[in-house]
Amino acid sequence: MAKDQKVMQSIPVLSSSKTKMKHKPKHLRIDQIAGYGFIMPTVILLSMFVFYPFFQSIYLSFFMTDPLGNVVKFVGFQNYVELFTDKEFLNSLKITFLFTVFTVPTGIFIALILAVLTNNKSKGMRGFQFIFALPIAMSVGTSSIIWLLLFNPTAGVLNYLLNVVGVESIQWLTNPDWALLSISIMTIWMGLGLDFIILLAGLQAIPDDLYESAKIDGAGSLTIFTKITIPLLSPTIFFVLIISVINALQAFGQFNVLTGGGPMKSTNVFVFSLYQEAFVNFQFGLGSTRAFVLFVIIVLLTWIQFKVGEKKVHYQ
Amino acid sequence: MQYKLNLITFLFVSFLLILTVGCSSGTAEATEPSGNDNNTEETSAPEVTTEVVFWHSMGGVNGETLEGMIEDFNDSQDDIFVKPIFQGGYADSLTKLKTSLNSNSGPAIMQSNFISSGPMIDTKKIAPIQDFVDLENYDLSQLDGNVLGAYEMDGQLNAMPFNASTLLMYYNKDMFEAAGLDPNDPPETYEEVKAASAQLSGDGKYGASFGVSSYYIEQFITVQGAELVDNGNGREGLATKSLLNTQEAVDTYTWWKDMVDSGYMLNLGTNVADTHQAFLSEQVGMTLGSTAALKKMLNGAEGKFEVGTAFIPHPEAKTGEGGVSVGGGSLYIMNNKPTEVQQAAWEVIKYLMEPEQQAHWYINTGYFSINKLAYDLPEVVEALEQFPQFTTALEQLEVALENNAGSNAGKGPVLGVYPDARTVTTEAMEKVLNDAQTPKEALDEAAEEITKKITRYNETVQ
Repeated sequence: MAKDQKVMQSIPVLSSSKTKMKHKPKHLRIDQIAGYGFIMPTVILLSMFVFYPFFQSIYLSFFMTDPLGNVVKFVGFQNYVELFTDKEFLNSLKITFLFTVFTVPTGIFIALILAVLTNNKSKGMRGFQFIFALPIAMSVGTSSIIWLLLFNPTAGVLNYLLNVVGVESIQWLTNPDWALLSISIMTIWMGLGLDFIILLAGLQAIPDDLYESAKIDGAGSLTIFTKITIPLLSPTIFFVLIISVINALQAFGQFNVLTGGGPMKSTNVFVFSLYQEAFVNFQFGLGSTRAFVLFVIIVLLTWIQFKVGEKKVHYQ
Repeated sequence: MQYKLNLITFLFVSFLLILTVGCSSGTAEATEPSGNDNNTEETSAPEVTTEVVFWHSMGGVNGETLEGMIEDFNDSQDDIFVKPIFQGGYADSLTKLKTSLNSNSGPAIMQSNFISSGPMIDTKKIAPIQDFVDLENYDLSQLDGNVLGAYEMDGQLNAMPFNASTLLMYYNKDMFEAAGLDPNDPPETYEEVKAASAQLSGDGKYGASFGVSSYYIEQFITVQGAELVDNGNGREGLATKSLLNTQEAVDTYTWWKDMVDSGYMLNLGTNVADTHQAFLSEQVGMTLGSTAALKKMLNGAEGKFEVGTAFIPHPEAKTGEGGVSVGGGSLYIMNNKPTEVQQAAWEVIKYLMEPEQQAHWYINTGYFSINKLAYDLPEVVEALEQFPQFTTALEQLEVALENNAGSNAGKGPVLGVYPDARTVTTEAMEKVLNDAQTPKEALDEAAEEITKKITRYNETVQ
């Protein structure tokens, strides 16, 4: 809440014009129209592509659909009962959380290291920044195909390199013990670009004079990193954490291309099982049920992160 | 100031208007050609023609061959313009079709694989081929009756088989010879495959690598004469129960696992292409693949080794009990298109069924000809002499027909929940291969799960 107030204060222009408006109701009306005009395109697009599907999906979760996806009959909470009694439900939740734990901290950590290493004015740093940010330009589909080739059990580069150093080939995607790990590695690489860019931007926003005065006071580089960089970067890290967790919980493309949820459902993340029910089996009711449950989980998790995380975040 | 604000308001209102107008004209454009298919003269087709949209799932060499044939058809006359669209694999294509059915954006001709017969019929949006056949007394007798049989239900032909295939076992004749096996006497039974694999394995090589594909598993069960679902394999009424936990299935899973555990079979998971790659790079001596992969195998092995083709194996005790069912795909005409378009689609299908077309299709892809007259054409005779591997599929089907004698097992299952059933079938195999469950446990559980899905499905398709 404190943050909201800060945000309000940080928009002095608007609030001053508001007080002026009070005496001129006509202006107020025009201002309001203009204001609504400004937000209207967003509202229309969001309603069409987010809110309407969202409510439609809640509606569908109480129905059964025919092979074409048309509503056939009302089944009440049966879809929910079926989902919660399905032992695959817990398994798929477990895999999704494991995947989040594997990818999010590691991804942020690597991106942070790279960002700190490249955040200086040395020659050639621009080039490294460009290279590290590059994965952001790749779509999930393209990245997955590239990694599918790398992971290929007989002709893939990864196994070739392993064999060169005398290690036996790994069945990256067909061994149930490895599959989730393999996809996590690929996902960390894929998410690196975005994390890196955001963290780098955060680093560049830290004023140089803070570093300078710290240096004059005789602080070592480790002290500077832990006492200045990290606290001042904490809002950025927090932001990256929130979006990474949401991204990880919603991951789908790489699973669809690389493993199709297998082997033995060892990579059957929640969104993949949703896709499978809704768009392969055409059970939109069951799919929508999963979508709604996932929504609730994400909202809860994000709320918890804000509750716990906000206290540790240092806003300037 | 006031003028400025008015200006802003005005600009925004006009922006919104443009947005709405833009949207509505966009949808008008999108719906017009599909809602009104015979009006396509102005838009897409070059001549005054009926446009027939043809969704297919033929990639690679096979796709090029098909599109070439369609181009020939388009050039041969001016009344019909066929627009082929590659929609990815059969499963993807079926998903897209289902999504399209509530609008009119779908195809007039839909290519679908055999196992999708159930889902296709249950959409209730297909115009049975039988209607077109009856209307003009089209002569079906020149076509292979056995292949037609797979697509007949209650004496009605639902789809026209186009790319018929069977599952084949491919083997490396050079590797067989090097291992002291007779390259012209491939193994026929589970037991023989295991024995041959034992001899082929070693030195980083494996006797075999079979992709964990539900199609292969289904065929292994079918060649033993067993049905996959009840109600006459779903042909005498909606199937209500999965029969995946029969002894035939348990035997197959047990044998497969034994091969992997003994180190004779390289398990590369569900990706069939990986097993083919391993075969072509001479890492494994045998692999499974549809006849449609024949051309790819011959091309890939050229200059490296000689490819042999064999019947798919069965347990020794089950010799003569059954045979492969017809795989591959067929063409459906969709009934949500105007009559002229449906009729035009029928003309296209008739063209593709001509002996010359089928001959061309056969020797360029490996899918065997459905028109029996094609086998007498000189180009086919010549191709068969050069590549005797092409004949294996035909012989295998002939044996199958003899053994099956019109049984429902041999015709293959008709099942609405086929996509889910296939996932469950391969998962059961994965569980067995990874020691998570015994074959019996895994199959009991799989059968139960499929039955549950069937029950749910049947509730929605009354």
